Amino acid sequence: MDTPLRIDPAEALAEINRFQRKLAAGLRHLPGMGEPEYANTPRELVYAEDKLKVWHFTGTRPTARTPVLIVYALVNTVWMTDLQADRSLVRNLLEQGEDVYLIDWGYPDGADRWLTLDDYLNGYLDRCVDAVRHRHGLDAINLLGICQGGVFSLCYTAMHPDKVKNLVTMVTPVDFHTPDNMLSHWVQQLDVDRFVDVMGNIPAALMNWVYLTLKPLRLNQQKYIGLVEILDNPAELENFLRMERWIFDSPDQAGEAFRQFIKDFYQGNKLVRHDLSIGGRPVDLGLIQQPVLNIYAQQDHLVPPDASRALGKHIGTQDYTEIAFKGGHIGIYVSGRAQREVPPAIHRWLRARD
Amino acid sequence: MADQASDFIRQSQAMAEQSWSQWMRYLQQAAGQTASPLTGFGMPGMAGMAGMPGMPGMAAPGAPMGDMLERSLAGIAPYLEWMQRAASAQATVPGTDWQAAMKELFGAAGQPFTQAFGGIDSTAAQGFVQQWQAWLEAAGQAGMTDWLTPPHLPGFGLHREHHAKQQSLMAAMMESAAQQRRYQALILKANTQGLERLQDKLADHVEPGRQLDSLKALYDLWVDAAEDAYAEIALSDEFREVYGAMVNAQMRERQLVQEHLEDLCRQLGLPTRSEVDSLGRRLQEVRRELRAAAAGQVAAELAALREELRVLKASRPTADGVPAKPVSADRPKAKATRTKTSARKATSAKARPSKVKSTAAKSAPAVEPSARAEGTVASKPKPKPKPKPKPKKVEAEASGKGGRPRPSARPRRAAAAKSVPGARRSMVSPGIPAPHRARRK
Repeated sequence: MDTPLRIDPAEALAEINRFQRKLAAGLRHLPGMGEPEYANTPRELVYAEDKLKVWHFTGTRPTARTPVLIVYALVNTVWMTDLQADRSLVRNLLEQGEDVYLIDWGYPDGADRWLTLDDYLNGYLDRCVDAVRHRHGLDAINLLGICQGGVFSLCYTAMHPDKVKNLVTMVTPVDFHTPDNMLSHWVQQLDVDRFVDVMGNIPAALMNWVYLTLKPLRLNQQKYIGLVEILDNPAELENFLRMERWIFDSPDQAGEAFRQFIKDFYQGNKLVRHDLSIGGRPVDLGLIQQPVLNIYAQQDHLVPPDASRALGKHIGTQDYTEIAFKGGHIGIYVSGRAQREVPPAIHRWLRARD
Repeated sequence: MADQASDFIRQSQAMAEQSWSQWMRYLQQAAGQTASPLTGFGMPGMAGMAGMPGMPGMAAPGAPMGDMLERSLAGIAPYLEWMQRAASAQATVPGTDWQAAMKELFGAAGQPFTQAFGGIDSTAAQGFVQQWQAWLEAAGQAGMTDWLTPPHLPGFGLHREHHAKQQSLMAAMMESAAQQRRYQALILKANTQGLERLQDKLADHVEPGRQLDSLKALYDLWVDAAEDAYAEIALSDEFREVYGAMVNAQMRERQLVQEHLEDLCRQLGLPTRSEVDSLGRRLQEVRRELRAAAAGQVAAELAALREELRVLKASRPTADGVPAKPVSADRPKAKATRTKTSARKATSAKARPSKVKSTAAKSAPAVEPSARAEGTVASKPKPKPKPKPKPKKVEAEASGKGGRPRPSARPRRAAAAKSVPGARRSMVSPGIPAPHRARRK
């Protein structure tokens, strides 16, 4: 009988030996390794309220006349956009000549349990936008929304159209009911009211657990087996640990905002059903007339491409551009390809509309 | 050849002696000697990590460094164990029944990777409820099953409510455990189907030249197969129903446990989560009301100022000493408005903190005072002049077509009508081959 395996026993033994040697050598490096730092591109604090901060990145003289405010998701931390010196969206945007601001939402605790989407969008975000507009003496600025932050940016633009000049969305879900959206599939029969009533704020550890169970073997095991291969390479090991820090150092979710987001977006899919209102204000994508650049990742397992591409069908503007990036939800910020392609594309698009 | 085989077995046994636990013992010693901070990674509480009280998988503050490392690297240990088993399984020898060997390596109960799948339901999602369930299961094994699943008994007298709550909690725990078993059955099914998919995938590698030549390649192929099988199940209607039912049952159980604990806390005079939540909710409502009131006041003030400015402009004499336009009809109103405005301004200035006032005085009034009162605005040393508005120039994007100036907000129906076949819509895919690019039709 033919076998699909042609593994020489001696070779198998050698393979195990190599693995053990690498593991042993690498494990000696781990003790004493400090917490890997993010890129920490120079920045100044320009606005703070409760736990949120608005950072302005400095160090280069921007050529763009209109600043861009990055609106990140509430899940995970904003430092994915400035992960390390050679993998930094904000640093690359600065080098292109953009004037970059970033909202760091902070880490909600029990005091933030009752923050609603209205508080986040018509409160915090609106005041952040005002702060940046005020600094530049502008009526409207550019928004760059990432993932859930992209959803927020869309909603905000629909509710406050006079304050947004151009809108960029990255890996942003719009249609939450595409058949390949596993997260959405799982929450359809969740009793969200009870869930939030019982949990209060949603713990970051629970959120991380859910994300890991999207691909349990790859993310819980195969990834760490791959780690053994780089344990003896300090630079790669540091990159790995930095990414681990970003993945697991994540904030809890404010309970009420989470409740609304799951009910209105994941379960109700109200953004594409034109049935959404936040704080009593209707949110209609059809009313967005600003130029919109929508960037999605072709291998995104969290926000499937179809979920993002749906924006084109529902947005009102005639100036709509889509960019398909060959990579995943995180790779769109940190891969080598992303550094070469994404910031220049954003800059070109913004410059044409500055 | 025989010598080579026996050498291999001997070496394999020697290898097995260098087991995971030995590595960990070594590392524990090393970590103890250096007493240095230890970098960790992975999700606390994932497969293979024993739970600690309060939070499964969390290391106790005083846990030895080696113990923390072992937790962090728990995903690797099953792989090492599997490699050793695979190397001596003779599955690779031509003529053997490789399909049976694969079942042995990947499908047998208790094999190292079962934990990787089975462990995904055993972490922070459950917390202390899981421990409670473990206690219940232990109680069941101790012959207390009749007590655990009693028929519903009506309660009487003083302890009626307490009795009813206890019965509800027991029922919720049983329900939660039942839903958990349904979920685990689906995970097990994914594991089984993963093995079937692996065999299908391996069948494609039987031909000479396509055979797998390393244990890692075999492992990676199994991961691909298992993830495919899991994804298919995870996207099924059955999984959606089971997942929802499991989480809802856990939440019901947790809710009743919380109520139980709150009863106890109240009896002891301790504050409860519900009370803290109520306070937080009221506080947030008050903050919203304050903000809304401040915003309303600012809006009224702004409108009054605008009116005052309009009147002033209108009443300013031109070169020939004549007012720019007749304002007689507006004058009385304007005076009244101005007075009112001044009063408002004084009140408003009093109410505001001095820091905010100075910021407001220095900078342009683009940020509402209510916003400044909420947060801290760093003033820019040199405010930029407001750019002169100019007609919007819309350049051609990839489509090469000219755009239209952005209209002001239009009714949705009109927007929808215009959004059909876009004049300026484009889909660009930089750096990817032409077939991936498509223009919106």
